Amino acid sequence: MISTSSRAFVDDLALRHLDAAYNLGRWLLGSEQDAADAVHDAYLRAARASETYAGGNERAWWLAIVRNCCLARLAVRNKEKKNVAIDDNPVAAERWLPRADADDIEERLDSSRRRQRITQHLQNLPENFREVLILREIEELSYREIADVLQTPIGTVMSRLARGRALLQKALTDIGDMEAPHGL
Amino acid sequence: MDCKTANELLPLYFDGELDRATSREFEAHLDECADCRAALIELDALRGSLRKDAPRYTAPEALRTRIQKEAAGSASRQPSRWRRPRLALAASWVLAFAAGGITLAAWDHGSTSGQEQSQLTRDLFSSHWRALAAASPIDVVSTDQHTVKPWFAGKIATAPVVQDFSAQGYALIGGRIDYVGTERVPVLVYRHGKHVIDVFVLPTTARPGSNETIQSQGYVLENATLGGQPAAIVSDMDQAELTRFRELLNTPIRAD
Repeated sequence: MISTSSRAFVDDLALRHLDAAYNLGRWLLGSEQDAADAVHDAYLRAARASETYAGGNERAWWLAIVRNCCLARLAVRNKEKKNVAIDDNPVAAERWLPRADADDIEERLDSSRRRQRITQHLQNLPENFREVLILREIEELSYREIADVLQTPIGTVMSRLARGRALLQKALTDIGDMEAPHGL
Repeated sequence: MDCKTANELLPLYFDGELDRATSREFEAHLDECADCRAALIELDALRGSLRKDAPRYTAPEALRTRIQKEAAGSASRQPSRWRRPRLALAASWVLAFAAGGITLAAWDHGSTSGQEQSQLTRDLFSSHWRALAAASPIDVVSTDQHTVKPWFAGKIATAPVVQDFSAQGYALIGGRIDYVGTERVPVLVYRHGKHVIDVFVLPTTARPGSNETIQSQGYVLENATLGGQPAAIVSDMDQAELTRFRELLNTPIRAD
């Protein structure tokens, strides 16, 4: 039987880092409903496994469970991918919308377009780069914590972070890419 | 340090993962290398736009409520143990900590006017953490204020006021010099029980903001005054211990 204190520990932990968990899930899965479901799965799993928490960074332990639940959902989704609906991925769909003027100078983009742009580029990155960027830049986890979440060596975290930053940097400076599918 | 090494270390420096000695070597290289400076600025710009423009999605209320209900359900099954005062105390502490975390998050994602301050705050926290992660958080190890002060005097323009409070439970254990932004500032290191306390003596122009306490990952930053100079205390002590220490620091020194 799970003792009250370890269960209370998981309850506190999950609620305390609920936004972090949801944010990670939302970025990995790209859908509100899936992210909420994955976080709820993670909560149930963490509650069952509360006795197995062996110390160490608790936020990393919790986010590792969240991430595993997200990856499980992604795996199922990829199996069903044969008939992917276009609005399954609104970001990709958006690319085919005609853009307004070619005012591609960053300073002139209003904030909602800047948001949209960075969201799109981040979402377009392969998920293993996207997740390290989210964990490091948005959630401000240390290398050690990210390594614990991803269950990889720190060296892998560092190389993915470097590659992810370079890819995103390049995508953001390639001004032309946004306007490419104009005529479609 | 050559450019190749500096390039490899650059992200680690940027992410606050370098130990202090290597950070300083890296900074020395940075002073003379425009390319590495540009690369660092690029990383910072990318982080800036991610923090500013990439949404941090917040959990929907429905999800929070659902988990809260399930959590409450599990607790009410064993009410007597859950209501034990020690646990309740722990829970309230956890809540206080979460509130602190939110303050800092709001601070980080806040308006541009707060950005300079938040950078200072971040510098102070990361310097404290970096020092804790290094083999020793101190450059000059001494419990004697008459050794620590002259050590600073040889290294920076204005040596800070150095006092030992071991009689009150806060023992001076040494000092170091660290960077806050581009300034080299003296840091006095104290020990209280198992807590390491850093006191950053800031340039008179820098104010880490109002008198509110800022928390991050269980560490607390609080402003103080040390011999007329602004200072910032960073530690993982609890509020009462911190307040007491701050009062000691603020007390004018007797001539000795």
